[in-house]
Amino acid sequence: MPKFRLALAAAMAASMLSGPVRAEDSFKIGSSVGLTGYAAVVDRAWRDGMAVAAEALNEKGGILGRKIEIITEDNRSQPQDAVVGYRKMLSSDEVQIFDSGCVSAGNFAAAAFVMRAELPMYLCSILPKREEEQAWAFSFLPPPRFEVEPRYQYLKDKTDVRKVGLLYDPTPYALLMKGLAEELAANFGIEVVAQESYKADDADMSVQIGRINAAGAGAVIKIGQGGSTVTAAKNIRQLGLDKMILMSSNDDGSIFRQAGEVLGDRFLFVSPPVQLPKELKPGPRKEAVDAFLKYWSAKYPDRDAANGARAWDSMMVMAKAAEVANSVEGEAMRDATEKVPSHQGAYATYNFSKEHHVGITENPFLIGKFAGGELVLAQ
Amino acid sequence: MIPWRTLLPIAAAIVLTGIGLLSGSYAVTVLGFAFIYTIFCTGLNFFMGYTGQASFGQSAFAAIGGYGSAILCADYGWGPLPALIVTMVISGIAALLVGYPTLRLRGHYLAMATFALGLIVYEISIEWTSLTQGYMGYSGVPPLSLLGYELGTVEQQLVALLVLALFGIFISNRLRQSRFGRALAAIAGSEAAARALGIDIARCKLIAFVIAALYASAAGSLFAHFVGFISPEVFGVTMVVQSFAMLYLGGIGTTWGPMIGAIIVSILPEALRGLQEMQDIAYTAILIFILIFAPRGLAGLSSLFARGKSRKLEEA
Repeated sequence: MPKFRLALAAAMAASMLSGPVRAEDSFKIGSSVGLTGYAAVVDRAWRDGMAVAAEALNEKGGILGRKIEIITEDNRSQPQDAVVGYRKMLSSDEVQIFDSGCVSAGNFAAAAFVMRAELPMYLCSILPKREEEQAWAFSFLPPPRFEVEPRYQYLKDKTDVRKVGLLYDPTPYALLMKGLAEELAANFGIEVVAQESYKADDADMSVQIGRINAAGAGAVIKIGQGGSTVTAAKNIRQLGLDKMILMSSNDDGSIFRQAGEVLGDRFLFVSPPVQLPKELKPGPRKEAVDAFLKYWSAKYPDRDAANGARAWDSMMVMAKAAEVANSVEGEAMRDATEKVPSHQGAYATYNFSKEHHVGITENPFLIGKFAGGELVLAQ
Repeated sequence: MIPWRTLLPIAAAIVLTGIGLLSGSYAVTVLGFAFIYTIFCTGLNFFMGYTGQASFGQSAFAAIGGYGSAILCADYGWGPLPALIVTMVISGIAALLVGYPTLRLRGHYLAMATFALGLIVYEISIEWTSLTQGYMGYSGVPPLSLLGYELGTVEQQLVALLVLALFGIFISNRLRQSRFGRALAAIAGSEAAARALGIDIARCKLIAFVIAALYASAAGSLFAHFVGFISPEVFGVTMVVQSFAMLYLGGIGTTWGPMIGAIIVSILPEALRGLQEMQDIAYTAILIFILIFAPRGLAGLSSLFARGKSRKLEEA
């Protein structure tokens, strides 16, 4: 027993005392991602998108001649774990920039001390709330209104539905989107007649959908990601609502396929062009998508590309920022990110500036549907 | 003279803190969380270990402490210390109001009722967005300060957390050795026998529940000041599971068990980080291994020394 205790104590002391490993010729990027927990689907794609981007950039000599090294820490979709991971990457790994996943609370919790360390944060999530923290953060998430407007436009142009119900989860991004959905509806001649919330792990939403139907809605505007979209589709069918349309937020293609198999034409979703590559016409956008898919599809032939594409884009913007700054130092990278010229990415076009730390300023979204075994543009 | 069994854990905690301070902010953060959980688990130990009752709802009082401190400091400009004390009072009153009817239940029923309490407060922290800001969370919570001096660095805060954790254990130990503490031990042993001795069982249980809530509230407040941000996820089921792991691993019903458990459960995953996706498997395997070979918790191992010593004396 004393030997066991000694070994345990030695292991702990070694882990506490282990110093940072220096590699002057590499460019270290830290990434806090929720590889387990509610953000796992999106954040695993984010991690893998970063990895293929690093591979592509390293083939061309890395960033300013330095090989890219990505340090990934699983935050388990929990802010406390994110804080520990960020601290580790800051003090032990000595990363030079962060490019983190979609766990907003984790990124918010770390934003204050990352700002004090004067390192930029590229984020899959929304920006932290405090202005001084926003100065160091750059979001690659589309503004929530971009996911609302195409859905309303579609309903206005292509259907007779003028009354909708909002079905939303209480995550920060979904709440922002829900607020905008209420606000923007009138601009499209649409009335929001019901608002129902759900939790990401709810196994049944028939009560909420029943209420939306009872309020006279012809479409459910689903705000939130994950398997709940499939649950909503199944509930619509189980309730026998054979005219109800379900319009989903942007999500992983596998979710769209499952929900599409349940509702057919009545399931529509918000989609970036990279999810519908066959619909792309020759031009810079197609070139950007093809450049990404060359690496992504070779490694992950059966996986949806949307979230990986955003991570890829974040790395490409980072490489451009380093070129502009001619440095990888924190403050220089922050300032240079604001000066990167308009960048056509695989997911969207990014226009960062001093005023815009949310890079997607042009709406990239189309409305898609599942037909003939694949995701296609809804005509 | 202070016995070595008391001095050794104090010295070990100080040495560990020293190592942490020399190792950088990563180790400091891990230890900071460990000491916050020490306070939380010391309170839980009071109710579960000393009194023999079950509570899955202490995270509710941590949430009251955390959100109370965040709101009072970030929105109303209160100092961290007054905010911490006021939220402890609020948590104590809440525990009194909730505990009075709930503690009439026993065993699994009490466990389920307290679990429901935790879930209710968790849901409130998500849904009452005008107060808690829901999943957006509260940011800009100032660091701890003492007598007007702000503990601006995590290193300074770690030292403060160590002192507070040791103070919490000291208070808990003093209460345990008091007449009230002995009454709790009697209740834990047999409620019928305790009643026969003239102990007011309902009153003692209620006081123990309130004390545990005060500790949980303080831990919640300290979390908010240490991180500078809180959101509902912090006070979810994970907190309950983690605190139970700490309590049972360290040794439920022992003085130093909560601290030992909190430190091990906080440090172990970090020591296993290199295993990446295998980290959780290795971590839980080690926890199971420890619980098999030290079913009374790591703090209970000290009794092996005592037994070994007495055996040697007998042989001599």
